[in-house]
Amino acid sequence: MPDLDEDILIRPLSEVDIGDIVEIDEKQGGIYRPEVWEQRVGYYLRRDPEISVVASLEDRVIGFMLGEVRSGEFGLEESTGWIEVLGVDPEFRGQSIGRRLGEQILERIKNRGATTVRTLVDAGQEDLSGFFLALGFEPAPLKPYVRTL
Amino acid sequence: MTTAATTLPGKFHDAVIRWQETYLSDFDFLVDNWEKYFPNDQRFRLCAYREQGICGEIECGELEGQPKFTQACDMDPKRAHQLLGAIRAQASTEFGSIQQHRLTLARAQHEQDQMWVLRMMAEELRHGYQMLHLLLDDDWSHVSEISSADMVEEILSMTTGSHVLGAFNIDFDSFVDNVVFCALIDRVGKFQLAMQQVSAYKPMAESMPPMLREEAFHLATGVVPMRRWVTQAAQGEVYVTMEGLQRAWNKWLPRGLEMFGDERGGGTNVRLGLKPMKNKEAQEGYYKECGKVLRDLNMRYLRARLPKLSRNEAIRALDRILEGEVVQGVGREALLHLPDQRFYRRRGLPAFEMIGTQGEVFEDVAAYTQHLSETLPESYRASADFRGYVDLLRQVNGGEVTAHEASSRAPALRRVGGSCPCSKSVRWVVDSPAESSSLETPLATP
Ligand SMILES: CC(C)(COP(=O)(O)OP(=O)(O)OC[C@H]1O[C@@H](n2cnc3c(N)ncnc32)[C@H](O)[C@@H]1OP(=O)(O)O)[C@@H](O)C(=O)NCCC(=O)NCCS
Ligand SMILES: [Fe+2]
Ligand SMILES: [Fe+2]
Repeated sequence: MPDLDEDILIRPLSEVDIGDIVEIDEKQGGIYRPEVWEQRVGYYLRRDPEISVVASLEDRVIGFMLGEVRSGEFGLEESTGWIEVLGVDPEFRGQSIGRRLGEQILERIKNRGATTVRTLVDAGQEDLSGFFLALGFEPAPLKPYVRTL
Repeated sequence: MTTAATTLPGKFHDAVIRWQETYLSDFDFLVDNWEKYFPNDQRFRLCAYREQGICGEIECGELEGQPKFTQACDMDPKRAHQLLGAIRAQASTEFGSIQQHRLTLARAQHEQDQMWVLRMMAEELRHGYQMLHLLLDDDWSHVSEISSADMVEEILSMTTGSHVLGAFNIDFDSFVDNVVFCALIDRVGKFQLAMQQVSAYKPMAESMPPMLREEAFHLATGVVPMRRWVTQAAQGEVYVTMEGLQRAWNKWLPRGLEMFGDERGGGTNVRLGLKPMKNKEAQEGYYKECGKVLRDLNMRYLRARLPKLSRNEAIRALDRILEGEVVQGVGREALLHLPDQRFYRRRGLPAFEMIGTQGEVFEDVAAYTQHLSETLPESYRASADFRGYVDLLRQVNGGEVTAHEASSRAPALRRVGGSCPCSKSVRWVVDSPAESSSLETPLATP
């Protein structure tokens, strides 16, 4: 068993990671959806490839966190970092990989001049809210509304 | 992180604009439709960027720990000369790739693929511009008899066939080349730019991060369509076949490997603090990464071809097929294979060795050229580039020239601007604003 802390490298997202991200997503959600990740990874690379990060162990990606900096949304004038999709390979959870990814992406967002970072978590996803609370996020007053069409 | 943006002095900026009007005539279309295809993305700007706040100390080599050079004249001639060569070669590749992409850009089947390639071309133009900025923003006269203005003229005057590196002297035959080139040749670019981030010459190091950010998108421009193509191929579509894709990989990968320079070299760059890795080490990293891309493509193919397999079953099936088994009708020949590093090489350690795609050793030229005809794209085999290689191979085998001599005759080593730019009737860099009629003249050049 390798020493995880030392052997895991947190680095910017690259197109080479698509296959591994598809696997993590399939492991956590049970559905194989390569097209979704081709589009998404393409999108984040196009936007700013230095914000999104992956955790790699021996050249295999075992965690990812994708996001970007935007402004002018929801009346939020200041440029805001958004963490939009993430996942840690279920085999590697609970070993601070999510935390390390989070710390890196926060730093990268800060380097782009944003002073706030936001994310949206489904009320039922206790693990994700627990995770973001542990990373220092607080519930925001902005409340999402939705209706079907 | 902040970047500072600058533009070239007027006549040089205008020269690049004239070049763009000739070789990247779809540029205006890109600009006009930017929001449609790249909503909210930072708009493209033709300028040079310098990253602020990078490491100020030399990171490798004999001067490690000392402050990075901010001016060429502070460098010893050897270092400055080496660097100048690298900047000119890099500029040549950036402009050269646009000349290649333009040939087949219109043939894309998908609008998104086409627009991504078009954006990538505009960014290559910016990369070329960035390198011209490095030439013009400093004084290189202690290591070059040619003025910076003439160096710019030389670079803008190069066409497919007279570029510094072999990969940029090969015409594209279809949109498959646009895509495979992005995935394989821009990947070399990524490795080179990443290495040059440590450059002992600070303006070079500062130029790299913005270029690398753009390069990440270029690689996606190559890999994402390929993933879609292999899926379609697995589903029985007839557009881009696995064999067609394999042949394109066979065409480009050897040129990509050669862009790292001779496998025995690169020590000088490390010693001079210009790059942190020797050629072989960087080339190995590149080859390994290409292998990863290829395995993912095979997996994507297999899962589309045998959709009932679970993830774990598919992983096992892929390994078994690669070992030669036939699984549910899928055999080894259905998949993509990474060409051997020595296949079809004309520079470096294995230059003119007769090694097949899978490492087979050929003893006789006729058998080897037959192998090449079975593994390279048919359209490419009709090219001057391929013919030139076969002629040299025959000479090497006939004992007329050594492999080393043949390497230096390959287009890859053609000198930057073999002819004096002053002798050209058309100049890109002009002192007074050009008349509109003169803008059209260069169109005849390619
Ligand atoms: C949430 C997730 C990223 C956490 O990754 P991880 O590597 O296991 O997390 P870490 O080990 O780095 O934990 C970091 C912190 O989060 C907390 N945390 C992690 N998982 C948690 C959970 N299920 N419930 C509550 N808190 C949790 C930890 O307690 C830890 O806090 P600490 O450092 O103060 O002890 C991972 O479980 C995951 O990928 N979940 C699925 C994500 C998902 O559904 N994505 C799709 C929608 S975008
Ligand atoms: Fe480039
Ligand atoms: Fe590129």
